[in-house]
Amino acid sequence: MKSIKILMAALLLSSLLSSVTLKAEIKEVFAQEVSTQNVKISGSCSLCKEGIETAAFEKNVSKASWDKDTKIAVITFNTTKTSIDAILKKIALAGYDNDSYLAPDDAYAKLADCCKYERTVKKLAVIEKPTSDHQHGSITDTKKEGVVMADPLKPVLVAYYAVKDALINSDGNAASASASQLVKAIKAVKMNELAAEQHKVWMQVMKDLDFNADHIAQTKDVEHQRDHFSTLSDTMYKLIKSAKPSEPVYYQHCPMAKEGKGANWLSQIPAIKNPYYGAQMLNCGKTTETIK
Amino acid sequence: MDFYKIPYLKVILTILILFLFSDLLYAQKIVRYDLYVKDTTVNFTGKPKRAIAVNGQIPMPTLTFTEGDTAEIYVHNELDEETSLHWHGLFLPNQYDGVPNLTQMPIKAHTTHLYRFAIIQSGTHWYHSHTQLQEQLGMYGAMILNKKEEPLIPTVPIVLSEWTDIKPENVHRMLHNASDWFAIKKGTTQSYSEAIKQGYFKTKVTNEFKRMTAMDVSDVYYNQFLINGKNESQFSQFKPGDKVRLRISNAGASTYFWLTYAGGKMVVVASDGNDVEPVEVDRLIIAVSETYDVIVTIPQVAPGSQPISFEFLATSEDRTRSASIFLGEGIKQLAAPLPKLKYFEGMKMMNGMMKMSGDLDDMGMNMSLNQMDMNLVMYPEITGPLKGKNEKGRKLEKVDKQDKITGQEKTTDRESMKMDDKNNTAESEHADHNKYNSNALSSITTLNYAMLRSVKSTALPQDAPVKELRFVLTGNMNRYVWSMDNKVVSESDKILIAKGEVVRMILYNNSMMRHPMHLHGHDFRLLNGQGEKAPMKNIIDIMPMETDTLEFAASESGDWFFHCHILYHMMSGMGRIFSYKNSPSNPEIPNPRLAQRKLFADDRKFHFMAENDIATNGNDGEAMLQNTRWSIGSEWRLGYNEHHGYEVETHVGRYIGKMQWLMPFIGFDWRYRKMGIDEVESNLFGQVNTKDKRSILSVGVNYTLPMLVIAQAEIFTDGILRLQLERMDIPVSKRFRMNLMVNTDKEYMAALKYIFIKNAGITAHYDSDMGFGLGLTLNY
Repeated sequence: MKSIKILMAALLLSSLLSSVTLKAEIKEVFAQEVSTQNVKISGSCSLCKEGIETAAFEKNVSKASWDKDTKIAVITFNTTKTSIDAILKKIALAGYDNDSYLAPDDAYAKLADCCKYERTVKKLAVIEKPTSDHQHGSITDTKKEGVVMADPLKPVLVAYYAVKDALINSDGNAASASASQLVKAIKAVKMNELAAEQHKVWMQVMKDLDFNADHIAQTKDVEHQRDHFSTLSDTMYKLIKSAKPSEPVYYQHCPMAKEGKGANWLSQIPAIKNPYYGAQMLNCGKTTETIK
Repeated sequence: MDFYKIPYLKVILTILILFLFSDLLYAQKIVRYDLYVKDTTVNFTGKPKRAIAVNGQIPMPTLTFTEGDTAEIYVHNELDEETSLHWHGLFLPNQYDGVPNLTQMPIKAHTTHLYRFAIIQSGTHWYHSHTQLQEQLGMYGAMILNKKEEPLIPTVPIVLSEWTDIKPENVHRMLHNASDWFAIKKGTTQSYSEAIKQGYFKTKVTNEFKRMTAMDVSDVYYNQFLINGKNESQFSQFKPGDKVRLRISNAGASTYFWLTYAGGKMVVVASDGNDVEPVEVDRLIIAVSETYDVIVTIPQVAPGSQPISFEFLATSEDRTRSASIFLGEGIKQLAAPLPKLKYFEGMKMMNGMMKMSGDLDDMGMNMSLNQMDMNLVMYPEITGPLKGKNEKGRKLEKVDKQDKITGQEKTTDRESMKMDDKNNTAESEHADHNKYNSNALSSITTLNYAMLRSVKSTALPQDAPVKELRFVLTGNMNRYVWSMDNKVVSESDKILIAKGEVVRMILYNNSMMRHPMHLHGHDFRLLNGQGEKAPMKNIIDIMPMETDTLEFAASESGDWFFHCHILYHMMSGMGRIFSYKNSPSNPEIPNPRLAQRKLFADDRKFHFMAENDIATNGNDGEAMLQNTRWSIGSEWRLGYNEHHGYEVETHVGRYIGKMQWLMPFIGFDWRYRKMGIDEVESNLFGQVNTKDKRSILSVGVNYTLPMLVIAQAEIFTDGILRLQLERMDIPVSKRFRMNLMVNTDKEYMAALKYIFIKNAGITAHYDSDMGFGLGLTLNY
């Protein structure tokens, strides 16, 4: 019994001792392997200084001191534990561009306002992107226009979408303005261009369409507009279903609208953007039918 | 007339022969590879460790073929153990599929084996060892099958993998023994003190009440993640404006990777080697063993300015670490790292889904195709950072609000949701669903299976007979048992299918982990709402509570494995074997019965664990051997004198039921103790025993109660009954664990253990027999 106790004590003691000597060794190595380098790091204010130095700091491994006028950081680190590259990466991840790494966009975006330095390198890279996107967009746009000509109901649908989008944003003024456009579009439809079946439906729904669109145009109260939009949507559905739209139309339903009675709308995109609640419940609903 | 005929014929003949010959030449182009499999030492973490290299490299060399080639691959096994190679995603004769003991006998040490098959498809595939856990040690590589005419775009094979310094066999053993060392290393213990600190105490209690241990998205802690064998590398040959096609295969043994790119959107053009219509995404998760072809663009820089290289980042699903490559040259534009997971939010979500029976309840959400990701409650980039820190907190609030509203509406709407046609799921976006739909909740587009659309029709013959099979993926995290319909490979029969049939599988995941299910030798159609353009795949990742339907044309012969591709799940027996009726016998399997026995040995394997506490008041510990159903365990308490006594209790039990909460056992109890004369002990039932010298048999039963308390009732052959309650390993803090025990023999015990390394800790405990003690705990 006793011998076991002694043995255990000895064991504990020896492990303790060895860990102490180990630590001493590490310190010695640290003294020998320290390197100091000066690096340029983007930043603008004293908040940046704090951010950069915190990012570079690791106890007994690395530390940095950044000067906001010269933008030069003096980085001291243990070469056996880390590298200048690893430290610069950490600094970039905290939002500060440097000679080796550019910060991720969202890390930069999260910096305090005073700290949003001018991103010289990064800016140049971004310039090109929107233009290429734009070109791409314009190509598809012209394509779309070509199709529009073939579909006499297209202007009505486009105007309807504009009303819907205004309601998604809960913007009564825009909805009213778009609805006036819709009234015009309805009046402008050339009935002789409609197919026989479509023509028949058009005659049935035209009055309702006009009535509801006009009411939305007359008011700036979003809730009132939404009431009419619900009926308008049902009529539009009848109309569009009879036609063959040139692009898919998504018939969508929110069971909660109109105090649980549910309401429908048409959309040009499959994703749900609910016009009956706006931002409050933007994603409530589902596509019940795709009209192609 | 005759005069003319002869040369005419001759010409035709020569032309014919030439044609035939050239055709033969073309079709019979043989591409030979010699692969030398050999032990090696690697150093990914600063410590030299054993690994397996092929031709001296990890990953194994990239094998490139063109559709129409014949592959001749000589595998020279220079290991001192068996091996095999499986050609993942390839259509080939069954005998070359490379599953040891199923389609061939293992390649014995120091022998050579030839795989020879025609390449009849194209796409990004990969290959790996199918023997034991060798894949974890480096036996994986890319296999690129080119079309006869590939589009002219620079292509880079990308092989994702992971490395652990712990031997894979040990990893497997630790998983089976519910070691929480990996959780400690990952910082995901989810202990009570952490729960309290973050305001989730109730969540943690509910979680344990429902008999769950800490939740995580992956099982194993890895020291390093690798892309083509390196943590970081640069492809400086690419110029601004270049488009590059990355042919990515996830060769990780158990890691899913999030893929993101610092240079803008990525365009997904193929999955599992099959082309899909291009889809633009911000990120995608690649399941274990899946492949994706992704086109990235290196953004232009303004003329005269500094060049920039852009990071392509692969982050493990648990977000502990990542690996990256930089495309282009110059200053490195980093991709945003993925923020740490909010584990307690995940736990809360799990609590909501878990019924007391251990089954999962999807609350009528009809989840499938990765569209609803329950895990997103843990993703700060989608659902906002950990509780109200900055401006993003508002977003979280919005989600909460939506949550409440949907709560009211749920009852009225459940019916309408049931009406959803299964094929319609891609379109049926609903608020209830949207709670977990990351594409609806954020501006980040995440790829899901519903977005994959094949470039050509994949419809199967209409008139073929359909064989419909339903499987429930089942599992038990605590005991690390993974199965299908609660049966492992060795417990189930082969599934017989007939050539010419269409096999349709409906898979439901009732376990708490996601599973990448892989079918050998066939591609299946994933019914994802794209109609006849359903994508072809050979891997389907199924998240908890998801149901997915897939179908394939049974066109081969022989035995084909269908299994979870998480290496440790597969080795635990999560799979089935599809066997074609009336197949010719496989020349590579001379003795089918022996092969089957060896195959079944994998999931029948017993795992050993032991723990011993050398304390000031005595020496106590336990050792256990466990497999899928059986447990043989022994506990001992050895005092340092006769007065404290010596005691060994051994139990042999079998776990019953899917959740394995019930375990009847037979036991043997041996004690020796010297007490004062006439001193006896009585239990709560008034039964008297000296316990001085006892050697006795027993029967009993263990049952896991809520809060993970194990209730034990045991009756000994001398008529003595003992009831006991025990709770082991209560996670008090990150490294502190508490044990509590009390029984009707008026014995009780409380212990507090501090884990300081993988195999050792310090324990303070109080025991009614032996008093207070402090000791060193060693465990294996």
